[in-house]
Amino acid sequence: MRDDRPWYRDPRLVVARRDVRSLSREKTIVLALLIQLFVAGFSSFLVVGLTSLYDPGSVSTGEVEMAVTGDARDELLEAAAEHESAATTAYEEPETAQLAFEQRRADALLNARYVPGEDGGERIEVTARIPEGSIRSTLIVVNVRRVLETLERQERFERTGSLENDPVPLPPEISASPYFGFTYTVLIPLLLFLPAFISGSVAVDTITEEMERGTLELLRVAPVSLLDIVDGKALGMALLAPAQSLLWILLLSVNGIRVANVSVILLFVTAVAALVVTIGVVLGVATGKRRPAQLLYSVLTLVVFGAAVVLPEHPATTVAKLAVDSPTLSTYATVWGTLAVALLGYAAARKYVGSVDASAF
Amino acid sequence: MQPSKLLRVAKWEVTKNAGGVDKQTIVVMVLAILAMGSVAAVAASGSGSGLEADIYRVGVEESSPYYAVADADPSFRAQEPDPKALRRGDQDLTFYGTGLVGAPETGKQAAALEAFRGSAESYNDRTLAREANQTAAFPVSVTLVYQEQNGTSPLDTRTADGGDGTTTDGGSETTPSAGADGTGGTEAGGAGGTDGQAATPAGGGGASLGGIGARLTGDVQGGTPGDISPPFPFESLVLAFLYIVPMNFVIQAYGSSMLSERLNRRGELLLVTPASRGDIIGGKTLPYFLGAMGVATAITALLRFSGVAPSGSPIAVLAVLPIALLFLSATFCGAMFARSFKELTFVTVTITVTLTSYAFVPAIFTDVTPIALISPLTLVVMDLTGRPITLGEFAFSTIPPLVTALVLFGLGAGLYREEDMFTQRSIPLKVLDALAGRIKTRRSALKMSALLIPFVIVAELVAIAFLFVLDSVTLNVFGTNQSLGIVLVLGVVAVVEELGKSLHIYAGYAHARYERTLRSAIGLGALSGLGFFIAEKGLLIVRLSDLESLPIGNAAVQGATPPAGVPLWAVALLFLFAPLALHAVTAAISSVGARRGRWPYVAGVGVAVVVHFGYNLTVVSALA
Repeated sequence: MRDDRPWYRDPRLVVARRDVRSLSREKTIVLALLIQLFVAGFSSFLVVGLTSLYDPGSVSTGEVEMAVTGDARDELLEAAAEHESAATTAYEEPETAQLAFEQRRADALLNARYVPGEDGGERIEVTARIPEGSIRSTLIVVNVRRVLETLERQERFERTGSLENDPVPLPPEISASPYFGFTYTVLIPLLLFLPAFISGSVAVDTITEEMERGTLELLRVAPVSLLDIVDGKALGMALLAPAQSLLWILLLSVNGIRVANVSVILLFVTAVAALVVTIGVVLGVATGKRRPAQLLYSVLTLVVFGAAVVLPEHPATTVAKLAVDSPTLSTYATVWGTLAVALLGYAAARKYVGSVDASAF
Repeated sequence: MQPSKLLRVAKWEVTKNAGGVDKQTIVVMVLAILAMGSVAAVAASGSGSGLEADIYRVGVEESSPYYAVADADPSFRAQEPDPKALRRGDQDLTFYGTGLVGAPETGKQAAALEAFRGSAESYNDRTLAREANQTAAFPVSVTLVYQEQNGTSPLDTRTADGGDGTTTDGGSETTPSAGADGTGGTEAGGAGGTDGQAATPAGGGGASLGGIGARLTGDVQGGTPGDISPPFPFESLVLAFLYIVPMNFVIQAYGSSMLSERLNRRGELLLVTPASRGDIIGGKTLPYFLGAMGVATAITALLRFSGVAPSGSPIAVLAVLPIALLFLSATFCGAMFARSFKELTFVTVTITVTLTSYAFVPAIFTDVTPIALISPLTLVVMDLTGRPITLGEFAFSTIPPLVTALVLFGLGAGLYREEDMFTQRSIPLKVLDALAGRIKTRRSALKMSALLIPFVIVAELVAIAFLFVLDSVTLNVFGTNQSLGIVLVLGVVAVVEELGKSLHIYAGYAHARYERTLRSAIGLGALSGLGFFIAEKGLLIVRLSDLESLPIGNAAVQGATPPAGVPLWAVALLFLFAPLALHAVTAAISSVGARRGRWPYVAGVGVAVVVHFGYNLTVVSALA
């Protein structure tokens, strides 16, 4: 009788469809998408905010006014001239400079003087005073550091004769997006893994709920085995994750963030989702109760994800490398390895579920 | 509420509850947590690869000085230089010697070049640290001093001896080596820094957390230019992780337990016992609350006695209390609202994300204390680093979340009865049920507005903390004043306050508690506005902190604090009657809309928000 059913009436697919549909009926899927959007928006918002604070080059900032004193001030002025965001005023008297700083006419007070070094030469000692307790202090510190680094480079250059090894010349400066690294190494892995972890958690819920409510018994009256039910529930949840990932990838590309190797990434996300859903399903069937199952699920996935550090390549790095289009052999090895582990894990889980006496619930 | 009954329910919850955690689970949990510990140890020992590993590919010959640079930085993978691969996009940077082939075209190539430049700089610092002639290798030494700018304060005494780097508030001593530890050793060791800081590595009272703290609050920093760094909230991040993550496990178990009472009418058994609603909820919550506080106490004690944060005290634990209650109360409401386990999972994730950002975001701005104090987590940071906390600061930081948590428990408890517990309704409808459950007569509008004030305060404070970042961004982008941030805050304030004043009126209409006449609607609006106005004086709590000293904070609370330098009669008029009239009028507008149903309500609130916003903007620009 099983064989004359069309494929889409397969009990496993029916269970999967029913589960996914209940998610959309309760509008929880909307909530899930909103949460993920919030997490992503929140993290990028923070990073954009913080980066613009820490990296003044990333936005066209207001100038930072520096008051410069001390006998080495000319060197400092020369270094500051290379930076557009730094405006300098030289003061003969330290007191007038101090006054300018306290009256907020200057954002930073730099006192540069020559002191004899231990090796006979001279070094420049700079005391930089930065306003305390202001959101601008971060910006000021970054600007002061840039000027001082230029000063260090210039002074080093003059003293190359006293050095055994020449410092490596710096490659040309360029204005690049400061969010590039963050987008690919944090934001994209976060967005792509979040659906998988939520799917696993929902897999725990959907199984334990049937058991705790006693509706599993009703399902068992239908001509399906426990294995069919578990298969269907796992399938629904494992497929939800790559669908959401695809949505994020599309959303990112609308925002001008290009994600390469989409198909491999989706395969990888599916494998990861299958893996965590397997963990969730096994825990659900083994405990039959949501509370212990969810607790164990969150601890175990944290451990598994953390333990992935010992792998030659962390899964988050794999996604980053695929998305940024720098895949290596180890990237593909991770993808196929995860897929193999997921398949083997699910086969083992099926064996376990098949051995469970379904009438016990 | 009777303590003995409450305790009995608590005992039952721990020992016999149907959804309890059995021994087997505990064993697996302990094993898993041990595994987590060992994983953390492995990760900390640095044997794993970094997240940025190999994302850029650099073509460089082994003879080039850049080979060592690329080799030392895990984010680069060194290859044979190949211009063809560069054109194909299989190589991001190509160097022959130290000459770059072609100009970067794609965003990735530009980012790679920028990262490579930074990497070369830190490579230089590392190699030069081994030079014999340290004066030539590091010709510039820097001492960074943070100093109050305003007023006539003479030179800060802390800074008298330049590079020595001792501070009066203890534990913020930095040496370059401590700094390099804190950032994972990517920076220069700076072995040949200034005279003073070659002294003890991160000694003093601060210990390791204090060493990180110095980076964070950084009173005095010394070293080479590469060593100085802007304050970064690394410490808040670690603490948020330590204190907030365990909460998530607690609320997961708590939510499951609460929701399972609602399955198959299981909770009916408890409801028919002589125990009151308060006993049941209190008893079921107590074990989880004690668990959360126990974990917080254990973490604080561990930090204290392991010497990481020797100044940790019970104040840190007390500061965690409102956070724990907020987590539990939100989960309680969530479990009362959710229809299924699946829905509860999403609600729990929402709670986790929202409350974690509430606790964490303000704590980022440890430099700007009034903003940071919005989150009680800041108190924990301050206590652990041994900074003094005034009673006012403590109250400002903990009272709003504490009261919010209590109100949440109250709203959820309204649903803890047979007719609500075992019915399935969507979450928004359940929210309305919870609100309507508290409405008895028309005068309830006054009470409800006052009741919802804690939410309004917390939401406004969070908005200030969030938009504070934006404030500095707009400041940078436009190079002008902070107006955009303030305008946004005013907008959020208008929306939040109008919702707080009208949501319960709408709930009352939806549940047919009020007459649907125009007169009744206007009366309700006036009452709601009055209640809100009275309770809004609670916003005066911001006076306990220095929030008003910031323009953005001042803009948000301008209704609650009298401006200086205005004649008394004008103050009375402006400070008392104008806001009262405003609140009454806008609440009446929403109320008139709410009378007719959902969409008219939305429209009514929209109009009220616009009016409120216009008023706020006028006041702010008039007083400016």
